[in-house]
Amino acid sequence: MPTTLSRHRGAPSPQPADLVQLGLQPGKWDTLVALAGNPNTGKSTVFNSLTGLRQHTGNWPGKTVIRAEGTFAYEGKRVKVVDLPGTYSLQAGSADEEVARDFILFGRPDVTVVVVDSTRLERNLNLVLQILEITDRVIVCLNLTDEARRHGFAVDDEALAQQLGVPVIPTVAREKEGIPDLLRAIQRMADGETAARPHRIEKLPAELEAAIAQLIPAIEDAFPGIPNARWVALRLLNADESVEGAVRSGEIWAEGKEEGEEVLEVAATLRWTLSPGFHDRLMEAVFGAAESIARASMIKGLKKAKYDFDLRLDRVLTSRWLGFPLMLAILSGVFWLTIEGANVPSAFLASILVDTLHPALKGLGEAASLPWWLNGFLFDGMYLATAWVVSVMLPPMAIFFPLFTLLEDFGYLPRVAFNLDSLFRRAGAHGKQALTMCMGFGCNAAGVVATRVIDSPRERLVAVITNNFSLCNGRWPTQILIASIFIGALAPAAWAGLLSAAAVVSVALLGIIFMFLTSWLLSRSVLKGEATTFSLELPPYRPPRVLQTLYTSLIDRTLIVLWRAVVFALPAGALIWLVANIPGGSGSLAELFIGWLQPFGVLVGLNGVILLAYVVAIPANEIVIPTILMLTALIAGPAGVGEGAGVMFERGLADTGELLRLGGWTTLTGVNLMLFSLLHNPCSTTLYTIYQETKSWRWTALSALLPLAMGFVIVFLVAQVWRLAG
Amino acid sequence: MIDPVLALLIFGLAVVLVAGLLWPDRGLVPRLVRSFGTTERVRLEDTLKHLYKCEYAGRTCSVDSVAGSVAVSRHHALELLGKLEVLELASASAEGFHLTDQGREYALHIVRTHRLLERFLADRTGIEPADWHREAERREHSFSPEETDSLAAQLGHPLYDPHGDPIPTALGELPALTGSPLTALKANDVASIVHLGDEPPEVFEALAAAELSPQMLVRVLEATTGRVRFEAGGRELVLPSVVARAVTVEPLPEADPMQGSNETLASLGAGEGARVLGIHPALQGPQRRRLLDLGLVPGTRVEAELRSAAGDPMAFRVRGALIALRRDQARWILVDRGDPRGSEA
Repeated sequence: MPTTLSRHRGAPSPQPADLVQLGLQPGKWDTLVALAGNPNTGKSTVFNSLTGLRQHTGNWPGKTVIRAEGTFAYEGKRVKVVDLPGTYSLQAGSADEEVARDFILFGRPDVTVVVVDSTRLERNLNLVLQILEITDRVIVCLNLTDEARRHGFAVDDEALAQQLGVPVIPTVAREKEGIPDLLRAIQRMADGETAARPHRIEKLPAELEAAIAQLIPAIEDAFPGIPNARWVALRLLNADESVEGAVRSGEIWAEGKEEGEEVLEVAATLRWTLSPGFHDRLMEAVFGAAESIARASMIKGLKKAKYDFDLRLDRVLTSRWLGFPLMLAILSGVFWLTIEGANVPSAFLASILVDTLHPALKGLGEAASLPWWLNGFLFDGMYLATAWVVSVMLPPMAIFFPLFTLLEDFGYLPRVAFNLDSLFRRAGAHGKQALTMCMGFGCNAAGVVATRVIDSPRERLVAVITNNFSLCNGRWPTQILIASIFIGALAPAAWAGLLSAAAVVSVALLGIIFMFLTSWLLSRSVLKGEATTFSLELPPYRPPRVLQTLYTSLIDRTLIVLWRAVVFALPAGALIWLVANIPGGSGSLAELFIGWLQPFGVLVGLNGVILLAYVVAIPANEIVIPTILMLTALIAGPAGVGEGAGVMFERGLADTGELLRLGGWTTLTGVNLMLFSLLHNPCSTTLYTIYQETKSWRWTALSALLPLAMGFVIVFLVAQVWRLAG
Repeated sequence: MIDPVLALLIFGLAVVLVAGLLWPDRGLVPRLVRSFGTTERVRLEDTLKHLYKCEYAGRTCSVDSVAGSVAVSRHHALELLGKLEVLELASASAEGFHLTDQGREYALHIVRTHRLLERFLADRTGIEPADWHREAERREHSFSPEETDSLAAQLGHPLYDPHGDPIPTALGELPALTGSPLTALKANDVASIVHLGDEPPEVFEALAAAELSPQMLVRVLEATTGRVRFEAGGRELVLPSVVARAVTVEPLPEADPMQGSNETLASLGAGEGARVLGIHPALQGPQRRRLLDLGLVPGTRVEAELRSAAGDPMAFRVRGALIALRRDQARWILVDRGDPRGSEA
């Protein structure tokens, strides 16, 4: 057995305490594999091919932010794979890098697989070389070899393996090519059958070498047998806080005597001998090595299939004259397909879930002689609210998200970010916010999740907080209905449709204006001090895989979003039914609340019904309209309708308009409702997602209160000016 | 219903009231916070710091200089110095006021905290250079020695603050002040910037606006009374002597390759290529690290490939990858087109 690997035999295998801290349950696997790599190297695809899981993968740098894990069995061994965040480096400069580095260092994986993009070998080797400094149990997965071939070159994997001193496995993960080889290599390394003589960075500046030479004996003295003393020395000279902590506590090497403090003192004195820019010199040395290794293993001059197809396409898609028109055409196409395509299935779902199944269920309840209140609570409240949400939300999302994912998979979306960046830059935001904003038109919660592709802390927060200004799927129905009733009515019948469509589009555009305005304000006020690190990598175009995209985007985005919406719609439906049916004051609780809210509602050009509807509809925007209709009927409608009232009434447009006017609605109420529907707090699903993504109550509260305050100010001002003018 | 005019009036009043209360810097609340924040302890600490700076520069402090630096009346300054004497932190002699050993230790803690904070603001936040000093002044008084130590550890025990001032260690070690003012150089002299004066703020703002920073190389083109014309970071600059005097430099025997170039990545047009000479020393912290991680180290061959439809950013081919950089970032990367076009990187 090669001696280089003996430390893993001798060392206590994965330390339970560390692993629990890293979120892993010890003892559930035989082999622990860490998957590292640059962003956008197909790391998630490799993960999926290994584990059989369907993690969403996109042609986007920086997709995996939360660590994904999967387990599979190979030749009777349980293998656990942990997908680390994609990083360019392991200097622990960002949260992602820290997660990846700490896992490789303290998680002590049996094997670390570094996924490398063959077409960007030099840049990717930077990370490989850094990982090789920490551990020698590395396998390089040379992915996207097909793409390299398409661009007219190949990487000699044997030469590369020789240079790096660790196994190199060429793969095309999308086609599952090479995955069996990778599995075998993982198993061999885990069994200790692989001899590794990892490459180490040599040509460091003299002053740095001198300092390292003095520090290494101190480290080896404190931690006998430590395999990566040189790397630890470098990190200590770089004053890496978490390595310092690990040295102090002795965690850095299990067999240490915990005499870390002395080492730190030596490092602190040596640090004064280094010139301030030595980190730059270090990176220079790493890239120097990467360059020569890449050069030595590159096979050039193969026949190019499509000579710089990418470049030509890019020249068109980002050109001064065609860039924006093409972008508008493509995005409008997506929205048009979504809206047009969703009509039929939406109506179909509504007819099944609402028109057929609901009476059937109620009948069933009566047949089972449920008391009227339980029957109403279950079916008029909870079921009906959920059915409405599903029939309104599912079809557009099932169309919008796959289309969007196809564009993403192809690689077009980063070009949109590239084109629009200067606009966003002026607002203190990141070009990628254009994408999360578009995603928000589908669903704000999905838009907030999508902000993960923005790797700069400040810009990401801006994108999270302002996503709500994208008029989401759940709010379009409100806009369209109210515009048809109140705005369309202002024009002759022939023009009514056009005018109301224009009104809805104006509201959506107003949302974009508010998004820019708020981004600008945020980046200059509360987010002023947040760090910013802009970078945007334009990945090569890749032919989209239609079927797989349909499948994963359906699972990943559509169903998850829908599931969350259902979870929130059930209690909302229950709440609506309760306020409408529990007696309070002279009538129901709802009437009592509406009475309280009415004066303020009228002041801002809305009314008590709308405000109450927005309170109970916090869980999901979709149920605002049904709630408003139900409550209006309760207050102003024909006597007796309120009795046992459910969530909604199925009525024609004219009837609905008549009902609302009976409830005291004017054109002003309609206009203000449209504005308020744009500018109010995000739904609870989105808020929950914001909290999940930011882990901060402060930013969650700001995301809720800021648009709400803006909404009230705007509708108030509109109401006063309207009244003055009229 | 309330009359709309009345409603708008009330709303307007409310807006004015809230703005008056909360407006950054000038509102009532920020003012109150500031005036309560500036306690006697803060003034005493500022006085100590001033005494320390005089000592470091080899000058003697007077009541006037204290009054000027702490922004109090002469009477108040005298009172502050008196209190320090009682606390045995300072002593008076015929020439002026001095620190006692105990006072020096205290002052060094404040100076250390201040410079660490500046380093923190420069490296870890997006706060503008012109605001670093003010922000650090505000926060430096609330740090215990332990907190300062942990800040130092978090930042990787930096040696210099972003103005080039050395940061005292926890034990108070500090290198001696060296160098001469920029105004002392003659035409064609090459020197490296070691320090930028951070007081008065107007001078530092002028230096920050000129994007000067420690470690940068300067070549004097013309030195006349009243102004200095020089080349730094690939640009030609002119500073009035009053400002240039706040730049401390150390003359260098020979020129550095970085000095040869006047060009940055931002000056490349689509289709043009160049070789990276280095990243401007003024760009520090996460932004610098990100650029290095992308492979923009000296010697790297870079091709400008695409200009975005709006003109900014531009996409560059760096080590095989297509990386979009904003103009704001590209102008920090010094390049040389000297290499023959089309040479393989």
